[in-house]
Amino acid sequence: MFKAVVGHSNDPDSLSAVEEVIQQCVSFLAGDIPKAGILFAAIDFEHSLILQQIHQAFSGIELIGGTTDGEISSVLEFQQDSITLMLFCSDEVEIYAGVGRKVSDDPITATKQAVEEAKAKSTADPKLCLTHPESLTTSGVSILNGLKLALGQDMPIFGGLAGDQSRYQNTYQFFQTEVLSDSVPILIFSGTILFSHAVASGWHPIGQTSKVTKVDKNILYEIDGKPALDFYHHYLGLLPPSMEYPLAVFDQNGENFYIRAPISYNQESGSITFFGDIPDQAVIQISEAAYEDILAASKASFMNALDNYPGTEPSAVLFFSCVARRQILGTRAQEEYQNTKLCLTGYLPACGFYSYGEIAPIARTNQTQFHNETFVTLILGNR
Amino acid sequence: MEIGDYQREIKELKKAKRIIQKQLERSESDRIKLEDINKKKESLLRTVIEELKEYQNSLEERSQELEMMLLNLQIMQNKMSSLGNLVADVAHEINNPVSFIAGNLTPAQEYIENLLHLINLYQQTYPKASQQIQKTIEVIELEYIREDLPKLISSMKEGTDRICSISDSLRIFSRADTEQKLLFNIHEGIDSTLMILKHRLKANKIRPDIQVVKDYGEFPLIKCFPGQLNQVFMNLLANAIDAVEESNSGLSFDKIKANPNQITIHTALIEDINHVLIRIQDNGVGISADVQQKMFEHLFTTKPVGKGTGLGLSIAYQIIIQKHRGTFKVNSVLGEGSEFIITIPIY
Repeated sequence: MFKAVVGHSNDPDSLSAVEEVIQQCVSFLAGDIPKAGILFAAIDFEHSLILQQIHQAFSGIELIGGTTDGEISSVLEFQQDSITLMLFCSDEVEIYAGVGRKVSDDPITATKQAVEEAKAKSTADPKLCLTHPESLTTSGVSILNGLKLALGQDMPIFGGLAGDQSRYQNTYQFFQTEVLSDSVPILIFSGTILFSHAVASGWHPIGQTSKVTKVDKNILYEIDGKPALDFYHHYLGLLPPSMEYPLAVFDQNGENFYIRAPISYNQESGSITFFGDIPDQAVIQISEAAYEDILAASKASFMNALDNYPGTEPSAVLFFSCVARRQILGTRAQEEYQNTKLCLTGYLPACGFYSYGEIAPIARTNQTQFHNETFVTLILGNR
Repeated sequence: MEIGDYQREIKELKKAKRIIQKQLERSESDRIKLEDINKKKESLLRTVIEELKEYQNSLEERSQELEMMLLNLQIMQNKMSSLGNLVADVAHEINNPVSFIAGNLTPAQEYIENLLHLINLYQQTYPKASQQIQKTIEVIELEYIREDLPKLISSMKEGTDRICSISDSLRIFSRADTEQKLLFNIHEGIDSTLMILKHRLKANKIRPDIQVVKDYGEFPLIKCFPGQLNQVFMNLLANAIDAVEESNSGLSFDKIKANPNQITIHTALIEDINHVLIRIQDNGVGISADVQQKMFEHLFTTKPVGKGTGLGLSIAYQIIIQKHRGTFKVNSVLGEGSEFIITIPIY
């Protein structure tokens, strides 16, 4: 048995909201005891209070989560300023949480701690890892590399980086009853869990190709020998770089590209900081996406994941979607989830959030990658 | 309604109010964000459209340049083809008078021998010639004439032979190709090309003769477009001469003599694939790896402005690969020389 239930409230009052969420979960649980959960919450809530209430209601639960830039669930569909909780019950699947602290000081040690903490509690080999790490203090790629090192290169890792409603000031991560920053909370699933996933973006390169001429990991200093900021000003006028206009970074053959989104910039040095690392001498192009491209991509991501599900009856679906998608979509952001629902005949508990960077293996492999502007679908079950 | 119902309703209304207030705040900040994103998109699209326009303009310029070049090439081609016809005609026209001369030289030599014999006979029969005859013999230097006249005739013969071979070479070289392949003697083509290039192979003040080593194999006539193949030979041999001359730069006459400029032409039959192999090798400057990559490209040239068109090798390549379904390879070591290896099917 593997069962997932979900609660979702858009009440801005923290206590009312968490009570509503707990009530919904209890009624869906119908007596089953949850083992673990994942909580996605908007930035303005009293997170500590919410975590305490959840632990009171479901004692001994392994809980992780974090702040977001928009929440998704099968209860209230797309919301901003809401909290949504997914709980997992199973007698066959083990789910344990761990956390790594001060990840910006030493991503490798922090992620190792998180993995060791979770693994210490489980009796079976890990099958997959969920995470909701910090996004602003260090690059998503270095966190992912640390997790891969601790879990093994072939361990599938899924998740999204924590958000703060596009303020880019402070994000929070949740571990049990703790509200943390600069940390990496993880959930490790082991046992007879079945899962499938897919990723899609919808962004495409536009304009002329250029070359990275000076870069230090995720800080891009020069493009074509000129300040990186000049490149953006050429295309965006005097407006600053932002996530909606990321760079397409091409591979060596110049055929495939991946997306790297800007997080901040430095007016004086003309440099731009990105969510992930960019290789030196890489060929790049600015990229953009239109409503239809974004919506078609999220639908494709869900359809592919559903087609690839190895069992017959999925129990839950998790979504990690990029905040830039929500921002471009505006009022049509709700269609991302609604489109996925149209592909289903029955009810599938769903939970997800809009993140500052997505983590998932590339299609049909176990090679986990850091993504931007992407819609990740993860389907879970054990039948 | 019961009090409990009222309380529930008030609670619901309060919640709805909180949500609406929050959504209002959020929608305001989202609207600002969306406006910002749209401004960026507008700017991005405008810039990209401008870039595309610039790109289109430069493409148009480039296509005009190419059209112009094509026109010039067509003019050049016309000129070359009429020049080719003219050369063939001239060569043919020269043949007639030259054959008069060559044909008359043998009887002229006979007549002269007869006349000299007659003079001898006269001198033997009448050893005492008149004073006038004696004087004339001295004035015209009869003894010298007797000695020089046969030499003169044979050098005239040599001259007419050379004119004949030059006009033959011109005729072979400038032969216009028909639409069908013809049977052709490859060696004749190479030889006629060498004849036309003879003035460039000869010694001059700077260097001795460029040695041409021929190592011809035996094979039948091959079916090909002879005029086009001659063009390839001309291109490769002229390039080889350029390459060896370039390698002489900074060297004295004697130094060059000690290590002479050399062009080797090797031909052979590759029986198992029914191809003939033509290898033209020189000990010139060689070609850098960088240039080797681009040398068959259209309009690529290493020669100074006005000297090379950048068409020679690319056309030679097309003639061998496309027109004759052959192969065309180059081996070259910078500073040591180059080798062009062509194979062409026999039919």
